Amino acid sequence: MRRGRLQRGLRGFWYAVLVFLYAPLAVVVFFSFNSANSSASFAGFSLRWYGRLFGNEQITSAAWNSLVLAVTSSLIATALGAVLGYGMYRHRHLKLGWLIWLVYLPIVMPDIVFGISEMTFFVTVNDFIGLFGPGLGTMIIAHVTFQIPFVALLVYSRLVGLDASLFEAVQDLYASPAQRAWYFILPTVRPALVAGFFLAFTLSIDDFVISFFTAGPESATLPIFIWSAIKKGVTPEINAVSTLMILAVFAAALMVLAAQRVKPGSSR
Amino acid sequence: MAAGSRLPPRALLLTVAPAAAWIGFFLVLPSIYLVTIAFLSAGPYGLPTPPPSLEAFRELAGFGFLGWSPGNLYTLLRSLWQTVLATALVTVIAYPIAYFITTFPPERRPILLLLVVVPSWTNQVIRTFGWMNLLAPDTPLADAAAFLGFVAPELGLFPSRFAVVLGLVYNFLPFMVLPLYAAFEKLDHAQVEAASDLYARPVDVFRHAVLPQTLPGLMAGVVLVSIPAFGMYVIPELLGGGNSYMLGNLVARQFSGGSNWPLGAAGALLMIAATLIGLQVLRRLGRRLGGGEEVVL
Repeated sequence: MRRGRLQRGLRGFWYAVLVFLYAPLAVVVFFSFNSANSSASFAGFSLRWYGRLFGNEQITSAAWNSLVLAVTSSLIATALGAVLGYGMYRHRHLKLGWLIWLVYLPIVMPDIVFGISEMTFFVTVNDFIGLFGPGLGTMIIAHVTFQIPFVALLVYSRLVGLDASLFEAVQDLYASPAQRAWYFILPTVRPALVAGFFLAFTLSIDDFVISFFTAGPESATLPIFIWSAIKKGVTPEINAVSTLMILAVFAAALMVLAAQRVKPGSSR
Repeated sequence: MAAGSRLPPRALLLTVAPAAAWIGFFLVLPSIYLVTIAFLSAGPYGLPTPPPSLEAFRELAGFGFLGWSPGNLYTLLRSLWQTVLATALVTVIAYPIAYFITTFPPERRPILLLLVVVPSWTNQVIRTFGWMNLLAPDTPLADAAAFLGFVAPELGLFPSRFAVVLGLVYNFLPFMVLPLYAAFEKLDHAQVEAASDLYARPVDVFRHAVLPQTLPGLMAGVVLVSIPAFGMYVIPELLGGGNSYMLGNLVARQFSGGSNWPLGAAGALLMIAATLIGLQVLRRLGRRLGGGEEVVL
């Protein structure tokens, strides 16, 4: 009897927390269909802000930048991170303490400190030798830096989960290093590579602070565009851009859910 | 990086070196540079110039040409206070939620977890913008607060310290739910039932049967919430006014508007120091309370 009451209370609390979690997103979506200029009141349903969106060159170029940044940095980070993860696995008996430290550094460093040290470094190097002028290039470099550890750790944990004798078997069969890499290691870590790429992609799209400090005047991403629009005083299109980004996230979430339905419980 | 001599150098170099060099060149080197800046003087436009000095640290401690002012000290204390408050609130909300999820059959739990996590996948700026909409003047929330006499009717609920803490709680809730959920999933329910059967009050059941078992998850959650919360930049910048700025805003300001690189670098150093001290304290605390089980970050 007491348990029933507890369960009911918990259920109520759960719904309250869900409202808390989704209310700010719902408000953004709701006002994106507002025909009025302000978010203060809802004047009627309209798609005009979405229409304005596609005509706005700043927004389309910011979206393009976001995409280029995410894809390029994730590809580089997946390659570098995968090789690093493999190296960490092969040399795990060496207790590479400094390496662990190096791998965790980008994860634990506060992102504001991360962004600012990159920014000061790039600006100074650019002043002296004209390299690393702030722009899409420096943003890609910064993003790769924080993406590498996540990919490496995914690949590493995939390899650790394998039977170590498999590696010996492949060696016993006289596979050359190249053959070993192509026919054995690559196929085995493929799930980790795919997961690593998508994780890196998500991290890139989600980042604001580090992008903000390493961006150049021409390389604003969507979050940077939204940020400056808010700072300058809200233009109603932000609701519409934000809504599109929220929808993209929910589409991704549904895909994750669908993938889990297909093979229940066999995620590892 | 000096440990190279007795390793199989070629294999190690081929695999580990590219990424290590990348992080070394693009993160370690810049960090060292930032540390160096803190010990230089501020030249024209606030850029760092040669004569080494401790001026930046003096300024950070509040000494300016008008004598000492407590502004920066307040910012530091406020960052600490807002972080502690947000972490405590997140913990109180996350505990029942994490437990509630484990009362469902295992195959349904991922969906419930996903429901908690998905909002945090959208960009931080957008989420905070959502709260700006909700807390603005003339919204139901602001009207209710005005009706209850918390704010003047023409004002919204932001900018305010309340809004900043609310934003922090909102932002970091999933970071606490996930590790606590992992801890609850391994919970030995027999212990909890035994305690209830022995007529322990709910408080005592929690203290003696639940808390010790979920402590590693709690400590991991506290680390995951408090450290990034302490360095937060976006939420106080959008939801807070001048009297709710945190250390991150102080630091960022020195590299843009206010422009005093050495002062900003000194602030960044203070932030790193506080983070490391916090980590160490939490690890100690976890070891003492958790009966030896190491909390892995």
